[in-house]
Amino acid sequence: MSWRRLDYKDREEVMENVVTHEDWKVCFSQLGPGLVLFARNWVRSPADAEDVVQEAFVRFWRRNHNIDNRALLYATVRSIALDFIRRDSRRARRESDAMAETEQSIKPKFAMEDEFQQALAAAVDHLPDEQREVLVMKIWNELTFSEIGSALGISQNTAASRYRYALGALKKNFLSS
Amino acid sequence: MNDFSELENQLKKLRPLPPSEDLAVRIERALAEPTSTTAAGVLSRARRLRINWLSLGVSLATATVLLLFARFGIDHPAKKTPAIASRAPSSIVPSASNAAEFVPVGLTQVVYHTRDEGLHYATGSDQPVRRLRSRTRETCQWRNANTGATLYVSYPSEEVSLIPVSGQ
Repeated sequence: MSWRRLDYKDREEVMENVVTHEDWKVCFSQLGPGLVLFARNWVRSPADAEDVVQEAFVRFWRRNHNIDNRALLYATVRSIALDFIRRDSRRARRESDAMAETEQSIKPKFAMEDEFQQALAAAVDHLPDEQREVLVMKIWNELTFSEIGSALGISQNTAASRYRYALGALKKNFLSS
Repeated sequence: MNDFSELENQLKKLRPLPPSEDLAVRIERALAEPTSTTAAGVLSRARRLRINWLSLGVSLATATVLLLFARFGIDHPAKKTPAIASRAPSSIVPSASNAAEFVPVGLTQVVYHTRDEGLHYATGSDQPVRRLRSRTRETCQWRNANTGATLYVSYPSEEVSLIPVSGQ
């Protein structure tokens, strides 16, 4: 078998096959809920979070990155979410003010079965941002501390430390009450 | 086993809400778009076309404004002549061909500033003089009786007066 350099048309064809491959549906069905939850660390509205996830996932998939490189996927979501906030800062501020006034009306992030879970979800929401994002990546997206550190641009130890702080805060504020 | 295992189990029982079904459809549509083969960071053709149209629009608007300014300047050439008139007010006489048409109808002089610059001694003289500096604006007006057109020429001028001061 002889190898040759692909010309433009061939590359286009290869890319077309990649982007229309059905694998993305399998990946997305597994990762979608966790990705949207992760995006909601920065954008409160579920619709905005879905927009962020859509842009990130499409960008990630088109560039033909290995789906095993989850750190890169989450870093992409985070980057796009932060861009979204910067781009729409005025709107975000308005939303934030509105949310502060009607916090009870925020659409829940979890499918909660009882009051205990409602209280637990509320306690997670009240964690500091940097602890909550690590917790979300670890618990509901099952990333390793190494992957979390890579996605957030922090060391593995810092990621583990933030995770422990988050659990400690939850235990102190929630389980003890 | 760490101290948080019970809490971790409780957290894992919380299930994130699934995204809307619409999201998967949108992703599928986005991936199927022909622009998907475009290299990352490169604008699509449609986007580039929009930018070209925008540039074209700005260029046309600029050209229109310049044309309007040019036309305005041609329509009112008389307003550009005060500098010439101020140098030689007496020469502001309509040309021979226009003399029959434009007739001088008025001349106004407005003194808008006078400053007393104090006593001065002229060179070689023992008698002091008071120097007064006046700034005026003179306006000449012509009128064409046939068409009713009026031509104004206005120019600034400055006059210095030396007034001898007598010592009683």
